[in-house]
Amino acid sequence: MGRYIIRRLLQMIPVFIGTTFLIFFMVYALGDPVAAMFGDRAPDPAAAAQIRRDLNLDKPLWQQYLLYMGKIFTGDFGTSFNGRPVIELMREAWPITLRLALIAVFFEMVIGITLGVISGLRRGKAIDTAALIGTLIVISIPTFVTGYVLQYLFGVKWGIAKPTVSADATFSELLLPAIVLALVSLAYTTRLTRTSVGENARADYIRTAVAKGLPRRRITIRHLLRNSLIPVVTFLGIDIGNLMGGAIVTERIFNIQGVGYQLWQGILRQNAPTVVGFVTILVIVYLLANLLVDLLYAVLDPRIRLA
Amino acid sequence: MPDPYDQRPHDERNSATELRPMDLATEEAEALERHEKATPARSLWGDAWYDLRRNPIFLVSAMLILFLIFIAIWPSAITSGSPYDCDLSYANQGSQSGHPFGFDNQGCDVYTRTVYGARASVMVGIFATLGAALVGTLLGGLAGFYGGWWDAILSRVTEVFFSIPILLGGLVFLSVVKSGSVWPVIGFIVLLGWPQVARIARGSVMTAKQNDYVQAARSLGAGNWRMMIRHVLPNAVAPIIVVATIALGTYIALEATLSFLGVGLKPPTVSWGIDISTASQRVRNSPHALLWPAGALSLTVLAFIMLGDAVRDALDPKLR
Amino acid sequence: MPVSQLLQVRDLQVEFRTRDGIAKAVNGVTYGVDAGETLAVLGESGSGKSVTAQAIMGILDTPPGFVTGGEILFQGQDLLKMGREERRKVRGRKLAMIFQDALSSLNPVLSVGYQLGEMFVVHEGMSRKDAKAKAVELMDRVRIPAAKERVGDYPHQFSGGMRQRIMIAMALALDPELIIADEPTTALDVTVQAQVMDLLAELQRESGMGLILITHDLGVVADVADKIAVMYAGRIVETAPVNELYKAPAHPYTRGLLDSIPRLDQKGQELYAIKGLPPNLTRIPPGCPFNPRCPRAQSVCLTDLPPLYDVTDESGAPLPGRGSACHFWKEQLHG
Repeated sequence: MGRYIIRRLLQMIPVFIGTTFLIFFMVYALGDPVAAMFGDRAPDPAAAAQIRRDLNLDKPLWQQYLLYMGKIFTGDFGTSFNGRPVIELMREAWPITLRLALIAVFFEMVIGITLGVISGLRRGKAIDTAALIGTLIVISIPTFVTGYVLQYLFGVKWGIAKPTVSADATFSELLLPAIVLALVSLAYTTRLTRTSVGENARADYIRTAVAKGLPRRRITIRHLLRNSLIPVVTFLGIDIGNLMGGAIVTERIFNIQGVGYQLWQGILRQNAPTVVGFVTILVIVYLLANLLVDLLYAVLDPRIRLA
Repeated sequence: MPDPYDQRPHDERNSATELRPMDLATEEAEALERHEKATPARSLWGDAWYDLRRNPIFLVSAMLILFLIFIAIWPSAITSGSPYDCDLSYANQGSQSGHPFGFDNQGCDVYTRTVYGARASVMVGIFATLGAALVGTLLGGLAGFYGGWWDAILSRVTEVFFSIPILLGGLVFLSVVKSGSVWPVIGFIVLLGWPQVARIARGSVMTAKQNDYVQAARSLGAGNWRMMIRHVLPNAVAPIIVVATIALGTYIALEATLSFLGVGLKPPTVSWGIDISTASQRVRNSPHALLWPAGALSLTVLAFIMLGDAVRDALDPKLR
Repeated sequence: MPVSQLLQVRDLQVEFRTRDGIAKAVNGVTYGVDAGETLAVLGESGSGKSVTAQAIMGILDTPPGFVTGGEILFQGQDLLKMGREERRKVRGRKLAMIFQDALSSLNPVLSVGYQLGEMFVVHEGMSRKDAKAKAVELMDRVRIPAAKERVGDYPHQFSGGMRQRIMIAMALALDPELIIADEPTTALDVTVQAQVMDLLAELQRESGMGLILITHDLGVVADVADKIAVMYAGRIVETAPVNELYKAPAHPYTRGLLDSIPRLDQKGQELYAIKGLPPNLTRIPPGCPFNPRCPRAQSVCLTDLPPLYDVTDESGAPLPGRGSACHFWKEQLHG
């Protein structure tokens, strides 16, 4: 186990470097961060050159990258172009997004798995058909559309929820945005669970369990679900990473000052240190979530040996 | 956007757990099947086509898509106005005669803009899918066929692309592009979309390569390219088509999302994503300007996802 | 046929309602087993032998499978008339089944100890700890080495033969009255086959239970079975005590099966094979279902379905336990 984790961590290094370099390249080489600092004003050449020197932007790209990464490992993510240290922005934004994502995953798990199990067990029945059509529609409506529609309905028309989230981002304020964020993944979770339950229900070992004279409840819970939920759990693990990315849209709609909001602002204003800093952390979160999923997989399925 | 059906995060893991399709059907039932299948032997494609023609989901989605392609090519067939023909004095007005969907906050006719918006979505969807499928099949196929270094490098590269959330990559990459036309968006989607196809192509080529008849062809001295084209590719094509069709719908949604965030298509290109974004600012007073393009967008994505579902059911022999 | 006390299947009918029509998988099967007796049910794939067993166990996949007629008397009670809960309590406790492919028939994510112990937990309300001790005992009984250490292992960690022993142990757990073994050795290596078969026969002798052995392998049957029922297209075409059947079959289908066993003394000769394929169960031909493949077929075989005739010797004295569903059983048996 320990050796496996170390090997996987080592394998992550090239992926981490590749991903961060790609983002670094896009932001610093394709864009012009210094010009962006001046906004609409024409940059003063001398001042621009000074800034370039200060930020190491006059050096070759690979050197800039190495210098940047070196600083990151000492905890220095640089300073945002509006003067605030990036790490400070992160400290404010990450807890909010993390809360949002966790609530979303909770909805995904509870509603998605329940619906999926019910429709998987009642294949071809009305509830199954309803779940299939419902999830198909949910998957087809882009998140920003559901976001606005639900915000309009719940927040404006019926006044049940607050249409925007305050800077505190309390739990009750985050409920509606979390549902919006979770919705598409929730539909996928439902479908995946349904397929998995349906496949396993026809497996030989379920027939054995019936032949053993086990009560139906026990067959469903101990034998069927124990097997069917393995792929679902791994999907949820990977999805945590996806939710963080999806937060860009949700946070914009509900005006949540989280990671997605900071990133969006950073990108629009070409605020290079903010963008690269946040993305780097996102990539790390994603990679670790993947590793966690693999470990979880091995715990849940004894047939998997980590080597 | 994630698709759990095609999520193959780690090939090793999957091959280790993938159990043979189990079926409670006893040997008796299997014997029955044999008889059923024995009546005129059809190919995978013949079978798939036979199934598709009888699948109402396929028929509905195919008709919707044909209609969309039609208005994408020839929008003036069902609308007489121009999407740029706007009059601020009509801004935010509701439905009225000759303008069934009302006006947006620029006073443009929502119906006309919704019809013209189909072109961008359909173009992005189709061209991005074709591009991603071609690049992915080529690179994935080569990696699967030659293995070794090719394969190792490709695996790392796909992992790099997989670890960038696609929306985030789109924001960063497209924010530096000034053009608001469809081509940079298509280019970006191909750039981040091909690894998904490559992964599938690699897997199915590796499987096809192991088939006895391919081994036999090889032992008879068939050249690599000949093998690839005659024996390996035809077997790899079905799963690639399935992934690509399902991806098509999600690409359209992605384009709209990027346009909504202000980095995808930009005016004067007419796009549902832009119109939804504009309308969202006034959603409290005139929700109709948001609902029509949003509905059209959702219906389009739905049509392509339904098509993908139907094609998958028809082409995946495991589900039969 | 004398009525058996332990299990008596009477005129059982099972059909599968599929998209392509109704497949009549079992068409009036009658057979019985007594305590301590072994009945071998022989037939090709699609003959209905496994479906009959599933109907007895009550594990038929419904839909598409439906029992449409007949009765299954187990210790005098009709299983088909029992309530669902009542029937569940019979399964596993009194009536157990061994499946062909132990790897797929055992739950991959639960330890074998758990799966064995579950029988005691569910049927006898035993604690998990006691159940585990029982599981070790069972594993010892089917001679799995180092049972105590291996009780926590998972199915994939055992060899094919050991896995099949675990299946057998699971069936034996509550000392059932009757075990149905559906091709218990088909998935195993030849050498292991004999070991598993011997074990099964020995355990049966010890416990005095009835055994229904479903197989397509005539070789397996000879040593362990008391009597044989040969099935074809959902019907029993011949029944006989095991030795008599081998010596003198009374149905051309059985003859064909016996002739298609490779024999060392016939080295160099072409191996006999029954020509043709079993019929499509959605379209069973009228008359005798075997007629398209039968070397003896006459015009009567195309129109009249033969009942299971009582078979007699040449003097006309009845041969107990023998029956043949062939219009020409006399010619087949006496030449």
